[in-house]
Amino acid sequence: MTDRSVVQIAFYAALIAALGLLPPIAVPFLSGVPITAQTLGVMLAGVMLGPIRGVLAVLLFMFIVALGAPLLSGGRGGLGVFAGPTVGFFVGWPFGVLVTGMIMKATKSWPVWLAAVVAACVGCIGVIYLFGVPGVTLITGVPIDKVLIGTAAFIPGDLIKAAIAGLVAQTVSRGLPGALLSRA
Amino acid sequence: MMSLYVPGQSWLHRCPAGVKFVLLCVISAVLLAMHDLWLLGLAFVATLMLYASLGPQGVRQVSALKPLAFLLVILFLFHLMTGDWQQGLRLILHLGSMVLLANLVTITTRLDDMMAALRPIFQPIRFLGLSPSVPALAVALVIRFVPELLRVYNALAEAYRAKTGARGSYRLIAPFMIQALAMSENVAEALSARGGASGFEPAGSARDKNAVGGAAMKEEIPS
Amino acid sequence: MGFWKRKTMAKTGQSGLDLTSQPYAVFEDVGLEMNQTEILQGVSLTLSEQRIGIVGLNGSGKSSLVRLLNGLRLPSTGSLKVFGQPVGAVRGQLPRHVGFVFQNPDHQAIFPTVEEEVAFGLTQLGNSKEDARVAARALLRRYGVEALADKPFTGLSEGQKQLVCILSVLVMDPEILILDEPMSSLDGLATRRIAALLRDLSQKLVMISHDLSLIDGFDRILWMEGGRLKMDGPPDAVLPAYERDINLKAQAAAADQASAGPL
Ligand SMILES: Nc1ncnc2c1ncn2[C@@H]1O[C@H](COP(=O)(O)OP(=O)(O)OP(=O)(O)O)[C@@H](O)[C@H]1O
Ligand SMILES: [Mg+2]
Repeated sequence: MTDRSVVQIAFYAALIAALGLLPPIAVPFLSGVPITAQTLGVMLAGVMLGPIRGVLAVLLFMFIVALGAPLLSGGRGGLGVFAGPTVGFFVGWPFGVLVTGMIMKATKSWPVWLAAVVAACVGCIGVIYLFGVPGVTLITGVPIDKVLIGTAAFIPGDLIKAAIAGLVAQTVSRGLPGALLSRA
Repeated sequence: MMSLYVPGQSWLHRCPAGVKFVLLCVISAVLLAMHDLWLLGLAFVATLMLYASLGPQGVRQVSALKPLAFLLVILFLFHLMTGDWQQGLRLILHLGSMVLLANLVTITTRLDDMMAALRPIFQPIRFLGLSPSVPALAVALVIRFVPELLRVYNALAEAYRAKTGARGSYRLIAPFMIQALAMSENVAEALSARGGASGFEPAGSARDKNAVGGAAMKEEIPS
Repeated sequence: MGFWKRKTMAKTGQSGLDLTSQPYAVFEDVGLEMNQTEILQGVSLTLSEQRIGIVGLNGSGKSSLVRLLNGLRLPSTGSLKVFGQPVGAVRGQLPRHVGFVFQNPDHQAIFPTVEEEVAFGLTQLGNSKEDARVAARALLRRYGVEALADKPFTGLSEGQKQLVCILSVLVMDPEILILDEPMSSLDGLATRRIAALLRDLSQKLVMISHDLSLIDGFDRILWMEGGRLKMDGPPDAVLPAYERDINLKAQAAAADQASAGPL
């Protein structure tokens, strides 16, 4: 692994943290509902770094949270995070990023923004919910359909984040082509 | 600054991080297997007493449950409506004790010590031809990058406000990424200039040829 | 320096590096190309002086030239030997003997706190964490900034940041120290303090600077223009010529603008 890879992996782990610390950004299309940008960082890790480095970046972030850094949005952190009812979403992150990165690699002929939006939706929304929703059911005993209704409120925000990930990937691929490692 | 660790001298602070970690795993497993309401209630009270043993500062840390409180109440109400209030109570006691216990380890263990205790799980990366010091380096880089990223973002948001009068917008994220990525490229170069992520190795090793940048990941697996 | 334990192998030329070789670097018709752009062409040089300054306009290739010296970039054409060995063959070993201080301190710190940043070079050389920490503190104390040891790097003043960056390279006790515009973000006082620190070093220096007063006491000045070496000689020959050239270019630009009318 090159020095550049190590720094890039650390960079995206830090990005996930920093986006979780930013004040929630008001999104006009959602009548100003503020969303935290943390999962945008997760999407970008997969979209920009590709599967291997992307997963390593997410695992590094999760590791630092486990060490006791309060870097999950809302200032949560520590080992307690792994005992909560929504831990499935968290555990789903590396799998979601893996799929996101693999889609980026498999769609090299597509325009960057389109590949990024599709990859983020399938990987970082689809796959992560696939882990998170049954996780809640498993831990709390609430049936899946009820959990789905409860989490549906977050989906519009997630879709907007996927769109922003597409915009960012497209812009970076023009301004700093070497940084789109998933396509290199 | 970037840790939930609460400085102190309590017995839990002095207990080695590795011991605490293993105990946490064992106790959590036992709790998961427990279904008797009385036993679970006892475990929850015992957990609270552990916090109390840290003194008033410890008692205050029970607030770690706060972000979860809303969700726990909803879950309890759900089970109440479906006619199984016992299940609801069991859930609260289960999750409450497990989260609090895990948090107890976190608040009484310094980040460095936790890192040292978890070091054995990184041994396998030797087989990838990486120095075992790489994970520690990566953690340090993250802790260094987070405030730097916030600084870059705030500078951009300020410039944006100076021009438009508007607060930060999602439109800032792409330029933010470009600036921040350029910063990280420079740090990567600075790392190479000081011997690279794995440090200096005896001459003649495979690293000599492709130590600095450029080389693909796979090339470094020793033959 | 060298008051701490270092691995016995650290200073011996185990990779064939001859650390006493004079000259320490020999460029023969070196060219550098990146992304299909020619950045350096036909650079031939032998470097042996104690203090070498480099001047040139923005984009003239100064930074690229010095990056070759510690293997951050490899020449695309020609040959470059440092300490008697081709750079390509000893790339992994060069950074410990050729220290590099970058222009922007925010872009070169690797660690969150000052002590870790300074100690890193020593752990790189194989010292234990504890030894490195002690030695880092000793070095910080020597330069009167031990109080900074536990501070986060991001919270330092620009002058303090640059000092820490220089110390974090010096701690490895390199033979050569390269500085790429180290004073560009410093105020007058900090600039003088760093300049005084550099004056007292035993290392050979190669320093890029746009502030000519900082290098007019050096042994030799290289003037880069358009990726080539334009002039090479003692400061009292090169610096006045360089300044004259800048003045001429400024006048020409002003004349252009005047003839083009108001903006
Ligand atoms: N990675 C790169 N890819 C392509 N061109 C580059 C790259 N790095 C530098 N250049 C180009 O090489 C030329 C020389 O750059 P260099 O940074 O060496 O100049 P410099 O003399 O240090 O300038 P300054 O005084 O602004 O620091 C510039 O025209 C620059 O655009
Ligand atoms: Mg330069």
